[in-house]
Amino acid sequence: MSANKIERDEILQIVRDSLSDILEIEPGTISEGQSFVDDLDADSLALIELVEALEEKVGERAGDFRIEDEDLEDLKTVRDAVDYVFENAND
Amino acid sequence: MLPVAIDAMGGDDAPAPNLAGAHAAVADGIPVVLVGPADLAGRDGANGVLDLIEASEVIGMHDDPAGGVRKKKDSTLVRAAEAVRDGKASAMISAGNTGATMAAALLRMGRIKGVKRPAIATPIPVPGSTPTVLLDAGANAEVQADWLVQFAQMGSIFAHHRFDIENPRVGLLSIGEEATKGDSLRKETNELLANTPGINFIGNIEGRDIMTDEVDVCVTDGFTGNVVLKTLEGGMKTVISALLEAFDAPEYKEHADALMPALLPLYTALSPDTYGGAILLGVDGVCIIAHGSSSADAMRNGIGVARDMVEHDITAEITAAIAATRS
Repeated sequence: MSANKIERDEILQIVRDSLSDILEIEPGTISEGQSFVDDLDADSLALIELVEALEEKVGERAGDFRIEDEDLEDLKTVRDAVDYVFENAND
Repeated sequence: MLPVAIDAMGGDDAPAPNLAGAHAAVADGIPVVLVGPADLAGRDGANGVLDLIEASEVIGMHDDPAGGVRKKKDSTLVRAAEAVRDGKASAMISAGNTGATMAAALLRMGRIKGVKRPAIATPIPVPGSTPTVLLDAGANAEVQADWLVQFAQMGSIFAHHRFDIENPRVGLLSIGEEATKGDSLRKETNELLANTPGINFIGNIEGRDIMTDEVDVCVTDGFTGNVVLKTLEGGMKTVISALLEAFDAPEYKEHADALMPALLPLYTALSPDTYGGAILLGVDGVCIIAHGSSSADAMRNGIGVARDMVEHDITAEITAAIAATRS
């Protein structure tokens, strides 16, 4: 049995599905190296939508989970977000 | 119908005009619920006490919109949007921070499935005719062509129900009437609009057409739309002030008094208070964004617009129109 409450692959899927809903794009077109702003045309409100969606969906799977506001500016790519969630949701 | 949720603390002069507008709306037969601090009841005037949803915080006019919504979870704006989401209110209205109103509505009420981005639709007065609906008036500084097509769809539905226009004429704001005029975004959008069923697209329009009866819905990006809106508001204010100053001169007073019966209806038609504010289209519920300096009359009118849009079920109609063009 895994020691992690939620695996990285599952987090990537949650991020892809959430971005797909928010930005109205196909999940399959979203890759880890893409920048939210430069590649996916996400504006600040879309990013807040993503943060709230992740807090809700990851929280349901791994227990109470929050992305701190001061950490937001470090989350520039899909990979940044997945890594952040993996690290903090499995604390 | 469910009550309209009023952000009691939004606006430059809150809560006084919000409370007075709420009481006037109740007198018009519209159910309302205030969203504000527990002690609001004590400030609720001599006209009786209205229902209250308690909220202890206020997102200020200069607070960061999205940050304010995330940090101030017990704010009047967030609680008003949650009241709509949770089925306690039919619509919300705020004269507070426009960006935060949009963020609260988007994050709590959610976006209509398939809508790329919500847009702010503002009626621009047209003397002697129905107003022109301008969108986007500031929600999205940068846009894509397919977003503008959705703005056209949503603006048409709003213009139809708000001003009883059977088949609203949609114009794309550009720098020339020909389809080849404008930047690459306008050219791409012109072609898409011309080929989207259900939109009565009349082609490109120019800024001078907005305040005429040549067009019913003016589609543009939020940056341009906001510049247009503020320019028109400032221009009209300047012209009206200059006219009033000229009329005030003793040698013209007699003539000015004779002209007033003709000019006052025009003044009313041009006043932002008459239309009660803008509407945020594309979110899953009715959200009215009133002017920060809204008077009690403006709030009353805005609450009336909220009621009308709920009764016309504009959200369901936009949902169906967006779904139809996606399939």
